[in-house]
Amino acid sequence: MNEFSLLLKPSPSAHRRLSPAHAPSSSSLQPCNGCNRSSAIFLLSPSSSLSLEAEAKSEEAMLLSRSTRPILSPFLRKPKPSRLPKPFSSASASASALTPPTPRSPATTAHVPEDPTPLFLRPPTHPVPAPSLAAFRRRAAALVPPNAPHLHRHLRWLLADASSSTANPDPAVHLLRAPLDELEALWLRHVRDRRPFQYVVGNEHWRDLVVAVRDGVLIPRPETEAVVDMVGSVEGFGDGWWADLGTGSGAIAVAVARMLGPRGRVFATDVSEVAVEVARLNVERYGMQDKVEIRHGSWFEPLEDVKGKLMGVISNPPYIPTDDLPGLQPEVGWHEPKLALDGGKDGLDHLLHLCEGLSSALKPGGFFVFETNGDKQSEFLADFISTKWSSSFCNVEAVLDFADIKRFVRGYRR
Amino acid sequence: MASRLLTRSTAAVLLSHLRSRAPNPTHHILPHGTAMSSLLGPTHGLPATARSCPLREPARWFSSPAPVVEAPRTADGMTVDAIADKGWTILAEAESDWRSHAAAVAQSIKLIKKRLKWKWLLERSKQLAVVLERPDLWEDPVFAGKVSREQGELMGKIKSVNQFEQELMEHIDMLRLAREEGDNELETESMRALADMRRNAKEKELNALLSGDNDSYPCFIEVQAGAGGIESMDWAAMVMNMYRSWAQRRGYAVTVVEEMPGEVAGIKRATIKVDGDYAFGYAKSEIGVHRLVRISPFDSGKRRHTSFAAVAVIPILGDASSRYQINDSDLRIERFRSGGPGGQHANTTESAVRIVHIPTGTTATCQNERSQHMNKASAMAVLQSRLDQLEITRQAQMNAEHTQSLSEISWGNQIRSYVLHPYRMVKDLRTNYEVSDPDSVLEGDLDDFIFNFLSSSLDKDDGNV
Ligand SMILES: C[S@@+](CC[C@H](N)C(=O)[O-])C[C@H]1O[C@@H](n2cnc3c(N)ncnc32)[C@H](O)[C@@H]1O
Repeated sequence: MNEFSLLLKPSPSAHRRLSPAHAPSSSSLQPCNGCNRSSAIFLLSPSSSLSLEAEAKSEEAMLLSRSTRPILSPFLRKPKPSRLPKPFSSASASASALTPPTPRSPATTAHVPEDPTPLFLRPPTHPVPAPSLAAFRRRAAALVPPNAPHLHRHLRWLLADASSSTANPDPAVHLLRAPLDELEALWLRHVRDRRPFQYVVGNEHWRDLVVAVRDGVLIPRPETEAVVDMVGSVEGFGDGWWADLGTGSGAIAVAVARMLGPRGRVFATDVSEVAVEVARLNVERYGMQDKVEIRHGSWFEPLEDVKGKLMGVISNPPYIPTDDLPGLQPEVGWHEPKLALDGGKDGLDHLLHLCEGLSSALKPGGFFVFETNGDKQSEFLADFISTKWSSSFCNVEAVLDFADIKRFVRGYRR
Repeated sequence: MASRLLTRSTAAVLLSHLRSRAPNPTHHILPHGTAMSSLLGPTHGLPATARSCPLREPARWFSSPAPVVEAPRTADGMTVDAIADKGWTILAEAESDWRSHAAAVAQSIKLIKKRLKWKWLLERSKQLAVVLERPDLWEDPVFAGKVSREQGELMGKIKSVNQFEQELMEHIDMLRLAREEGDNELETESMRALADMRRNAKEKELNALLSGDNDSYPCFIEVQAGAGGIESMDWAAMVMNMYRSWAQRRGYAVTVVEEMPGEVAGIKRATIKVDGDYAFGYAKSEIGVHRLVRISPFDSGKRRHTSFAAVAVIPILGDASSRYQINDSDLRIERFRSGGPGGQHANTTESAVRIVHIPTGTTATCQNERSQHMNKASAMAVLQSRLDQLEITRQAQMNAEHTQSLSEISWGNQIRSYVLHPYRMVKDLRTNYEVSDPDSVLEGDLDDFIFNFLSSSLDKDDGNV
């Protein structure tokens, strides 16, 4: 049976209890005008077990989450000991998939002894007989609840990323980048613990890049792609010096560097050591060492030497208000680094700090763009900058993202 | 008298000369076609943008007078038609009878000419030759390029058939000569050459089936489930699977472009891209509604159900100059949005993109790729082909029977029936070709259906022009 028909197979009935968290990501495409933001799908599912009590709670949680923030606390458990789950048989697998998800903080995740090399970059040195791989595919697919079809897609991509990219000389044996039991464990953690798929395979397809990521580094978001286009529309951008502050995986820095001319440079800073490491990896992977300089440190601090010489400053700093952190979608709240998300009380701590430093960092006529938490933050910042420093900046405006949320603030230094 | 004077060595030289030319180096005698119908003749003006194009390397060799095509003849004046009309009995290939071989080859050539619409081909190439003579032709390089490319293709077809005819005549002459001279060796060789031609001709017949304008291109295959919910969605998935296997068997590359799964099973609709030579030429035979009769695996009452799935096939044109020009400002690009606050709040791998071409309302969606970038590129390719297809239909202003879109296919247009119960059979309603093994068909063994359809549709209409 091929992969396609497998996808179409009715799923085992054992999965009829669905975690609302796995509700199909409302797959309707909405036109850019007239948007519907009421359907926040991701909320903490207290349980997907079969017990009646859990069912009732689950519904309650869903109701609650519609009006207020999703709840987490009653179901928070002590983090599990970081032992890799055993490979599962299909019968017990169903059961284990239905046990309540275990919230994990980044700290616990870090304990898991795992090769820091992203899966998709490891050498394909693990021979696996075709039937074993097929059996794994079946077991893994059986764990997918019928209302989480995106997990089928993830399974397909996981197998693609874990397989040797060159043609297989022997179709009876596949060469994988990890032993099968490790893949089983990874898959289980993805389905059950809501560990982001991008951490599982170690990459995110972002713009035309395959950006390497790992635990401890923010997974670049699709909204952020627009920042690169904005840079590209600045007159003479190709020969300028640019700063990407809080570069994380280095996604923005690499994408911008690839558009630059021979004299263009990007200085990318981050205070997180993991981020610096991963950003270096991505810069190397795209051969941008001559264009991108990664510097370890806080915001503008490592950039004293280029002060006043920058054609542009780009940043996607942490902007989520601290109070909103517990309500985040599990993939984000349990697994991504708080350092990359937490923007302080109003979410504006870092953004305001960046605004303060802007005018001395930019050269006259220089450009800046920041990503924000959306509408209110952008409006506030645009207003703030043009009022407080009206003599220093012009053309300051909030810019919409593809969901019609005012996601960015941009402007020019006079 | 003259032939009698030929010495044996002259005959051998002639023969080896023939032989060196005999095997046709091109597998397909038919090169890529262009949208011939889009050419409107000498007075046709092209859009202003086309004029500003830099002069591309012009293929001027065809601006020669109209090709004079004279039917090749044997030494005693027989043409292919004359041979075919002789009514010589065609025996099995193994029989060493030169008349039988010659008659078979002549029949094939007649069929090939019919499939190529021979008279129309000659007429068209005469017209093009006139156009190519115009002194101001190269002032519009795009138009000129188009004309000379088309002429090149037509001439290629004409020449290939003429050569084949010529070869037949020469072998016949040679064989008769060998008989007269009592040269057994030469006779055997000529006989073998005729038998080879006979086999070759069969292949050329098949290739001539794929001489349509867009046949050589890759294509998209789209399948949509009919009414009837889960039953039809499951059937649509089976149909899509059938095409995937068929395409893989033929060595084509298959990629899923768009897939809308059913809630419980199957698909509501899906699009695959089939890449490889002549993908469209073959797959276009599948356009229409496919019907399934079976005991439903979803019906606990084990009743018989009839389900429908519609299939559309769209060519992916390669020739940039014949493609629809899309203005960026006419596009609206919609991306998948999960709702909610987005940005750092959300993790999603959903990157579907839909592109709407506002003036025509044409849309294309891609959700299969891993980034919005790739989805956008894929959706653009689909959109381009859909618009090209509209353009072809518009320009041709005739029934573009092979490029209907899904929305145009009426559910009444059933082309094939697959019965799994109470008996087992797949029957093509257009050709009445049928097989009793539905499983192999559903596993992609479709070529016989396709060849039957292609030959019946090309061979039935007698109007040669
Ligand atoms: C939301 S992430 C953005 C990452 C990346 N630029 C992107 O768009 O995918 C914010 C980044 O800011 C970094 N960061 C947090 N505090 C910082 C500071 N004081 N100085 C520099 N970088 C900081 C975090 O480590 C994190 O990588």
